[in-house]
Amino acid sequence: MAMKILVDLALCQGHSVCLGEAPEVFDVVDQDEGYPQVKVLLENPPEALREKVMNAARYCPNNVITVLEDQ
Amino acid sequence: MSEHAAAALKLPPRVSGEKPEIGHMEEFGVNFARFLMRCNAECGELAEFNMGGQQTVLMSGPEAQEAFLKTLDLKLSRAAAYQATVPVFGKGVIFDAPPEKMKTQLKIQVDALRYQNMKSYSTIISKEVEDWVASWGDEGELDFLDEFLRLTLNTATHCLLGADFRYQLTDEFRELYHALEKGLQAIAFVDPYMQQPIFDARDKARERLQELIGGIIAERRANDGVAYGDALETFMAGTYADGSHLDDNEITGLVIATMFAGHHTSSGTATWTLTELARQQPYADEVLQELQALFGDGTPITFESLREIPRLERFIEEVLRLHPPLILLMRRVIEDIDYNGTLIAAGKTVAISTFGSHRNTDYFPDPERFDPHRPKPDTLFAYIPFGGGPHKCAGNAFAMMQLKAIFAALLPRYEFELVDPDESYQDDFSAMVLKPSGPCRLRYRKRC
Repeated sequence: MAMKILVDLALCQGHSVCLGEAPEVFDVVDQDEGYPQVKVLLENPPEALREKVMNAARYCPNNVITVLEDQ
Repeated sequence: MSEHAAAALKLPPRVSGEKPEIGHMEEFGVNFARFLMRCNAECGELAEFNMGGQQTVLMSGPEAQEAFLKTLDLKLSRAAAYQATVPVFGKGVIFDAPPEKMKTQLKIQVDALRYQNMKSYSTIISKEVEDWVASWGDEGELDFLDEFLRLTLNTATHCLLGADFRYQLTDEFRELYHALEKGLQAIAFVDPYMQQPIFDARDKARERLQELIGGIIAERRANDGVAYGDALETFMAGTYADGSHLDDNEITGLVIATMFAGHHTSSGTATWTLTELARQQPYADEVLQELQALFGDGTPITFESLREIPRLERFIEEVLRLHPPLILLMRRVIEDIDYNGTLIAAGKTVAISTFGSHRNTDYFPDPERFDPHRPKPDTLFAYIPFGGGPHKCAGNAFAMMQLKAIFAALLPRYEFELVDPDESYQDDFSAMVLKPSGPCRLRYRKRC
């Protein structure tokens, strides 16, 4: 089992909670227009980062992040 | 859409009871939340009514609400629907700015709600709550409608404009702010530039407020390099695409817009939460036990410890379901829309009702019953206290954090009971932002 990260950019307003929780995995970058948005740095993060990744997903105010368990 | 294509489509069903000239204005004015529920009950998913000449189509149900919330500004304009805010926020600010500038201003507004700022705000709010309860003593009685309006004005100005401004908060500022509020009542949505004393007062207040805030801005520019940790600092640092900064008018406008988005919505919800805590005893006890388990050992109330308080969160969410502070969300139709075979023509207004959606029995059986254990709907567009989609309320995390900070501090220390008969605590539909009808008296007693 490995984690796989999905983000729904239609919902992202750049609150940056993910960046605060798991900077190894998420960045928030300016866009040409509108809100800055999440950029996933590690789509399949290592197991050692599981707790941080789960916190990023759990505390995202807009439910942008989904963590799938890859078989 | 071509005339030929448009002619092939149906028109939305019209709501009964229309009167000459005013349309449905009168019934809307009596209780607009109930009026919108009648529209939906009579006509279904789409219901067209007449607001003094402005044809308005209410869209109901998760599918229609999703279409409303996900359609971008180019087709469904917020700016055109919310022109009443222009004299309040200021010329050239948000809904009066060209689209590119508006996007940047909204981005800068959200910058002030990002992670690092939120940590600073949670410290500020906890301190404000402590200072507030410090004078309570062991027992007493208060009108919490008033109390929460004051507390949230203090937290809002503290987080937005900094400690110096907050602690010098004058009656003049309160009066100016109140004059702006009065300039945004329902009549302003018909025409915000009518000759009216309330609109004159609004314009004078806007001008004076800019002098006051301009004073702080000038002072800060002179003290370059000092960190404040408030929203004003973020607004002053923000830049447009060409690198230029916001001017005093735009910064003042963002401050006002942020206050309007967050102040009454938060104070109304806080008042309703406390009222429901006082009358929903078994559920309130569950929340109390949770707070005692989390904070009983002296764990301080911080950004981190506030992040996860599930029972309190469910309780507040149920308060927001029954008493959503913003009931009516609107957009102006810029291009003809074909909604599943029905034509919604350019120039009409479309609207959704959070209040009605939260009482949809398909998703919320026995909807008037307060029950924080209700299962969540399997769609994101039935429970919409903060709207949804790309324009969802960006203050939703701030709002929840503030409410949790207040009740995590209050509930373990005091018990609350209603002073007046249960049925006298009702929603007040006379303003655009929902709140309990005042006074909202509760008795408090220190827990042993």
